Amino acid sequence: MSMHLQDVVITHGGRTLVDVADLHLPRGEAVTIVGESGSGKSLLAHAVMGTLAAGLTARGRVTIDGTGYDLAERSARRRLWGRVMALLPQEPVLALDPTMRVRGQVAEGAPAFRSDRRSAYHAAEQLLGTLGVGDAARSYPHTLSGGMAQRVAFAAATVGGARILIADEPSKGLDTHAREELADLLRQHVTGDGVLLTITHDLDLARRLGGQVLVMREAAIVERGTAEQVLTNPSHAYTQRLLAAEPSRWQHPWVSATGSPPADEPHAPFLIQADRVTKGYGKRDLFSDVTLTIRPGQRLALAGPSGSGKTTLGNVLLRLLPPDAGKVVHAADLGGGRLQKLYQDPAVAFPSRVPIIVGLRDVLRRHRPEPGRLEKLMGAMRLSEDLLHRPPGQVSGGELQRVAIIRAMLLDPLLIFADEPTSRLDLVTQEETMCALMEQVDRSRCALLLVTHDLALANAVAHDVLTATTPPADPVRQGHAGQLGSSSSTPPVHARK
Amino acid sequence: MSAAVMSVRARLRGLSLAQRAALGLLMLLAVFAVAGPWVWPDPVAQDLSRFLEPPSLSEPLGRDHLGRSVAGRLASATRLSLLIAVACVTTAIVAGMLAGILAAWRGGLVDTVLHGLSEAFVALPALLIVLMVSAMSGGELWTLYAGIALAQWIEYFRVVRARSALLLSGPAVEAATLLRLGPMHVLRRHLWPDLRPLLTTMATFGIGTAVLAVSTLGFVGVGVAPPTPELGQMITEAFPFYHEAPWMSVAPALVLVVVLVGLLGLRTKESAS
Repeated sequence: MSMHLQDVVITHGGRTLVDVADLHLPRGEAVTIVGESGSGKSLLAHAVMGTLAAGLTARGRVTIDGTGYDLAERSARRRLWGRVMALLPQEPVLALDPTMRVRGQVAEGAPAFRSDRRSAYHAAEQLLGTLGVGDAARSYPHTLSGGMAQRVAFAAATVGGARILIADEPSKGLDTHAREELADLLRQHVTGDGVLLTITHDLDLARRLGGQVLVMREAAIVERGTAEQVLTNPSHAYTQRLLAAEPSRWQHPWVSATGSPPADEPHAPFLIQADRVTKGYGKRDLFSDVTLTIRPGQRLALAGPSGSGKTTLGNVLLRLLPPDAGKVVHAADLGGGRLQKLYQDPAVAFPSRVPIIVGLRDVLRRHRPEPGRLEKLMGAMRLSEDLLHRPPGQVSGGELQRVAIIRAMLLDPLLIFADEPTSRLDLVTQEETMCALMEQVDRSRCALLLVTHDLALANAVAHDVLTATTPPADPVRQGHAGQLGSSSSTPPVHARK
Repeated sequence: MSAAVMSVRARLRGLSLAQRAALGLLMLLAVFAVAGPWVWPDPVAQDLSRFLEPPSLSEPLGRDHLGRSVAGRLASATRLSLLIAVACVTTAIVAGMLAGILAAWRGGLVDTVLHGLSEAFVALPALLIVLMVSAMSGGELWTLYAGIALAQWIEYFRVVRARSALLLSGPAVEAATLLRLGPMHVLRRHLWPDLRPLLTTMATFGIGTAVLAVSTLGFVGVGVAPPTPELGQMITEAFPFYHEAPWMSVAPALVLVVVLVGLLGLRTKESAS
């Protein structure tokens, strides 16, 4: 079994969105397409499946197992779904039916489902067991972790016997641990003589999958080769740029190795002091007895998997949420708006129905920064003024996050709490956005509290990294940036006493 | 002035064909209601010699059983209905919105009391409230107005409270709080722009309901006291003469249909999007 794509062209109106001349997907070797958002990667996956949105037209041929199909004709491939080829959806937690138990949803895809319900359930249970999520068979999807949901989605996609698997951004929304599990799962599929096409902007996943890597930019493949060659020794300038955008390779003056953390003495001035704070929802403690201090100019990162309470801890430190126990003390000069926050989705952090400039003018009127400050910041971040006249929903995520940084900077903050500020952005935009933030942080000597699930990003930015574990295990552990590989040997927090 | 004209034109251009037709229909009705008194000066003046006079050029709807001008009475009744309806809905919106925002903002006891009050009102059928209030003071206009407004504010209160609570607990308002922007900013930039389209849509419906409520009460005889003309009351009065003068009962019913269809037509685009 193999798959071969020839002369694939996807257009919308008169615009060409994808143009790939030739792509062979052999059995037993992973093929991964990487590239920036908007480069047409996902469209290619949908064109192969025959699930392109109306309004998009595909031309070209796909040969599956010796049988040729015309990409313009969608219905012929419908009977291959589940049996021969399957699509592993983005964000499985959202793709699973929330009202069905896991076993039932997987069983629906089994070939025997119509004729023999019992054997279909049995097949589903067996597959779930093989994938290590047998215990979850009778649970509902919302009780699963991101990694478990991904396995269940994998089971649902392949239970019908599909050996050709197309994975569209499978690592989106997963934390580091779940991403490693996902890579193992996909590799197992390939070593079991499967065909795998992965579409992702996660270079780490591409590296783990190995095999062939193709780099896509502006509708076309700009570079292809083995994973090792493309991801360590790229020849195309765009691939080089993409690789350099990985946080672990950043070469900026503000990267933490070159910055120096502020003095840590008991009587040194502090911005925020948390003393044995505990917070939970219902009966479950998210974290307990966390003691930490944030000093002026310090860059602290809270890293850890989703659901581990990082954001909640940040909000408690900012006193946006009251702790269940313990207390949080703010320095007196943090009042009056010197404490600012950046959000994961900047679009919801602006009033949604008025042009951005209207809200910004309110900020200017209230705080009266020196005239021209806004324009200067806009220039420094290479943003054009006319985007301020649009409502926030019509500005791209990266640009809007930079506007949010500007809005915060207008108040000369002493501390910025950045809550997953770049987790929705692709690598290149992430670097651009973090640069914009860190240049301002560096210049103003403002402190930073960064919440992220990306350890590499945390290490690149912060002086100190706290890692949170999923409850109910130990709440928070601390290590110095750079030491985190051995975080198991560091003592439980009471960081910076 | 020219800027105002331009903005009116821009708004008109944004309307669908059905909406323009509906707007035209309502405008026509409004012109009829406003201009009526000049053409047919006294809607209560009787002239028994002109008993059930059929329609003519000067009296397009003829004269009723007391010899009063039906067109004049209809214009006057339409004006009364629309005025009461607009007054009721405006009052209900202002009261419901203020109470809703207050409840969502303050929470705690204020919210409990206001929410409890609205629950109590919801349990009663709206028309029963109006009936109760107007029965207590036989046919005075202000009781009609107060009753309908009292029945309608709850709807606005509940919608505004739910929407505001959602917005106030959201990240945009949290960011505004951290930026120290204060309640006026939150009201003007976050709440009002979000609530406005919602309230406009609800208001068109509310006006229709209010017009119907006024005429229902008139129809059963507890609304506006005679001889002041009122749509529902006119239909009741005309019923005994249906075979001799059908236009007398059809005309007021037609006005009600025009009001409701017009208001429904205005909503078409909002409900579609």
